[in-house]
Amino acid sequence: MTDSSLGTANEHQIVNPYLLELRLLTRNALHLWGQLRRHPTALLGLIVIILYVVSAIAAPFIAPYDPTEQNLMARNKPPFWAEGGSLDHILGTDQLGRDLLSRIIYGGRVSILVGLLATGFSVLVGALLGSLAGYFRGRLDDIVSRFADLLMAFPFLIFAIGVMSMLGPGFSNLIFALSFKGWVEFFRLVRGEMLVEKTKEYVEAARAVGRSDLAIIFSEIAPNIFHTVLVLATLRVGHMIVLEASLSFLGLGIPPEIPAWGSMVAGGRVQLLVAYWISTFPGLALALLVLSINLLGEGLRDILDPRLKLQ
Amino acid sequence: MEIKGLRTVFPTSKGEVVAAKDVDLTMEPGQIIGLVGESGCGKSVTMLSILRLVPHPGRIVSGQVLFFGEDLVKKSPLEMRRIRGKEIAMIFQDPMTTLNPVFKVGEQIRESLRIHGIMSEQAGSWPWGARYRLQAERDKVIQLMEEVGIPSPQARYHEYPHQFSGGMQQRALIAIALACEPRLLLADEPTTALDVTIQAQILDLLRRINETHGTGIILVTHDLGVAAEFCEEIVVMYAGQIVERGPTDEVIQRPLHPYTRGLLRSIPRITREKRKLEPIPGVVPDLANLKYNCAFYDRCDAALPKCEHDELELRDVGGGRLVRCVLY
Amino acid sequence: MRGIKVLERILATIPIMVGIAVIIFIFIRAVPGDPVDLMMGEGGYVSEEEMEAMRKAFNLDKPVHVQLYLFLTQTLRGDLGESFLKQVPVTDLILDTLPATIELALGALVFAVLVGVPVGVISAVKQNSLVDRVSMAGSFVGISFPHFWLGIIGILIFSVTLQWLPTNGRLDSGLSIEHITGLYVIDSLLLGDLELFWNSFHHLILPSATLGAAVAAMIARVMRSSMLEILRQDYVMLARAKGLSEYRVIVRHALRNALIPTVTVVGLQTGVLLGGNMVVETVFGWPGVGRMVVQSIYARDYPVVQGAVMLYAFTFVIANLIVDILYTYLNPKIEL
Repeated sequence: MTDSSLGTANEHQIVNPYLLELRLLTRNALHLWGQLRRHPTALLGLIVIILYVVSAIAAPFIAPYDPTEQNLMARNKPPFWAEGGSLDHILGTDQLGRDLLSRIIYGGRVSILVGLLATGFSVLVGALLGSLAGYFRGRLDDIVSRFADLLMAFPFLIFAIGVMSMLGPGFSNLIFALSFKGWVEFFRLVRGEMLVEKTKEYVEAARAVGRSDLAIIFSEIAPNIFHTVLVLATLRVGHMIVLEASLSFLGLGIPPEIPAWGSMVAGGRVQLLVAYWISTFPGLALALLVLSINLLGEGLRDILDPRLKLQ
Repeated sequence: MEIKGLRTVFPTSKGEVVAAKDVDLTMEPGQIIGLVGESGCGKSVTMLSILRLVPHPGRIVSGQVLFFGEDLVKKSPLEMRRIRGKEIAMIFQDPMTTLNPVFKVGEQIRESLRIHGIMSEQAGSWPWGARYRLQAERDKVIQLMEEVGIPSPQARYHEYPHQFSGGMQQRALIAIALACEPRLLLADEPTTALDVTIQAQILDLLRRINETHGTGIILVTHDLGVAAEFCEEIVVMYAGQIVERGPTDEVIQRPLHPYTRGLLRSIPRITREKRKLEPIPGVVPDLANLKYNCAFYDRCDAALPKCEHDELELRDVGGGRLVRCVLY
Repeated sequence: MRGIKVLERILATIPIMVGIAVIIFIFIRAVPGDPVDLMMGEGGYVSEEEMEAMRKAFNLDKPVHVQLYLFLTQTLRGDLGESFLKQVPVTDLILDTLPATIELALGALVFAVLVGVPVGVISAVKQNSLVDRVSMAGSFVGISFPHFWLGIIGILIFSVTLQWLPTNGRLDSGLSIEHITGLYVIDSLLLGDLELFWNSFHHLILPSATLGAAVAAMIARVMRSSMLEILRQDYVMLARAKGLSEYRVIVRHALRNALIPTVTVVGLQTGVLLGGNMVVETVFGWPGVGRMVVQSIYARDYPVVQGAVMLYAFTFVIANLIVDILYTYLNPKIEL
């Protein structure tokens, strides 16, 4: 593996491992890119995702209107290709005259942010607890595992609905609710992997050289587990986004003042017969994003799994 | 049975692999023939070709398989289904994976009886005879299990494959094969996955079946020792072709083809003198990429220049011996 | 022998159920603010005595562990409290709306199996053909699209545009069915009323399909991959060598084995089914537990929410239990 771990204890040893990790990481990343090119569907997913992210970040610049600006003179205008529509409002307007395209673009911000944050926290907490529990076992493992089992007994949406109904709609509440159940999956995954990796020889070797437990966990074992976590995390982002949308749809997620795809679809329900686009397009945007994320995630799984370990 | 000029190919990304090439084989009813060769020499494919069970995308491109005068290659799928299991039966190498893990062993044996309607004549037609037929089939299965030597068949009937030992599983497979009293049994490496002592028992069982039922047997194996023990005649295959054939004793004592000679030489012997093992040099050629006229050319110790271009046919050199080599 | 193991497994779920109840209890108490204030909502002025009376009624004046004990014993007795809004026991409300939800859930399961299994099998048998590629693409879409949107699109296409199916509810207004099982489709058959049957069936199709789509997609994928693996197995070859027809080989020998991992997956999907239930019922105005829960949340009717969440969680646990038990019967090699 890395030469530095076999050297004598001196100052340089602390610097080198990290540099080496960085180099390994970049090498892996390039390798990954090469692989991705061979999976057109995954690449497509990635491209679409990048488009979404870019438009979300650049929302204030590319959205034609202020998403909350109401124009009661232009209510329920259809998209430009339909009769009565115009290029003023490319995708039409909703029941309060707000431009749909702008709202969808801004809605993307919310969804992507929620997805990333919720998954991020889940991974952080779950992976951390999982590593510690899997490596050290003992009381910590027992307690946390039991708690995780209990949380697993709740279907995700039910749990989230329960929590949100108690806390009320709100951005941070939402992230909290999603992360509170989300970490369990990553906990289990990392813990399981940790249990397997623990028995392998390179861990023995590292211990024999006198590396501390924590160092072993983070610099030796982590890179080996990384890819499975990455695949799951990618898929989960999509899942979280769907959950957020479902909750917003029910009125339990993002507060209604902030444009969010789920609440837009809900709002458009009443108008379904007259103005189908209000519900359809936000949902379509959501569906396409989730589809792309899933494509990317599945592609990553194909690429990373047969490789087993990217050293 | 008479196989004439059988040719089975597998299209692969590297080109077409001729797994069985110009295979000619004749067999009298009730004979026991051994088909010997290394892995990948085409023996299993030949067996599968007889029953038209070659896995997709492989296919038979030419030749005839005459079974009691009828060409199996030309038969319709429906007709083949009637022959499989009933006239010609096959047993495979690893009994654990060949038995379906979710069904009881007894039921799996009974299935052969049921689909070929073996007991129907005795019990009468469906649905009135159904119950009697069921019982008759069950009884016959027990009888079969006894015949192949499975202890306590009444109890064992209701057990699952994973509850059987390796040897018993193979016996069960033989029972399945035997159920409809086939005239020919194709045994593809039936003993390879078993312990040596069990091997002997199974071979013994097969011999008994041949004697009592007059069933012809083609035993495929890579173990010359097994073939020598058991078969009346040995057929040697290499790279998809038959290279030699003859009565067992003759082939063992007077091998004609250089490959056969090499095989016999490379068998480790338990004798007092210690000798170095003599393997055949080189490796089995890539069937998609045959370089020479004679596939054995590059490993042959008796190779001659004319090997590279002379016509190679399976020639009768008398005494029931056939060889495919320029030397004869 | 197996029976004992099954019993053990059943008993093991009890601590989990208790744990669930405890968690729910904690959540409710963890809500910031005085529960009584929450209950009163933004409503008018309530006198101190009335608030005190409410507190007593909900046992809020007692210490926490006593509250927990009371909560648990009440739940065990089936007393889930009373709805703020409607002043009736929560249990009654749930029982009233349960048949509708069960009908929907069963419909979704039936749909998922009827669509998912054949698609998966055919895709595997005709690997890489057009059918295979289309099905796999379709199933991928099925697992990506969120329930609520799928439902709305379904309504748009089938109800609004094509006018084949109704938009919501269980029956056309004005019709009613005598309550036998509560499952309209079955009741109407039992009553011999074909018109009612047709009507209720039509109303059931779209919601079931929407709820079951994701599960169907999952089933199709798992069936396909396990069938592919199984078709490669030796015993399939043997079945053919026995002279079985291709149909028999696939259906009898291969399918049984392929069902095993599928059942597990379906078990895991029940969570999705339960969660999606609320959303689908809301979209289609289906008068089941889910819709009631959503309405209760808006109305801040917490006892109902609490009771329903517990019910959902329990159902999930029991569903997993059933899947485990089913699994042992399908796979003779495994004992619980």
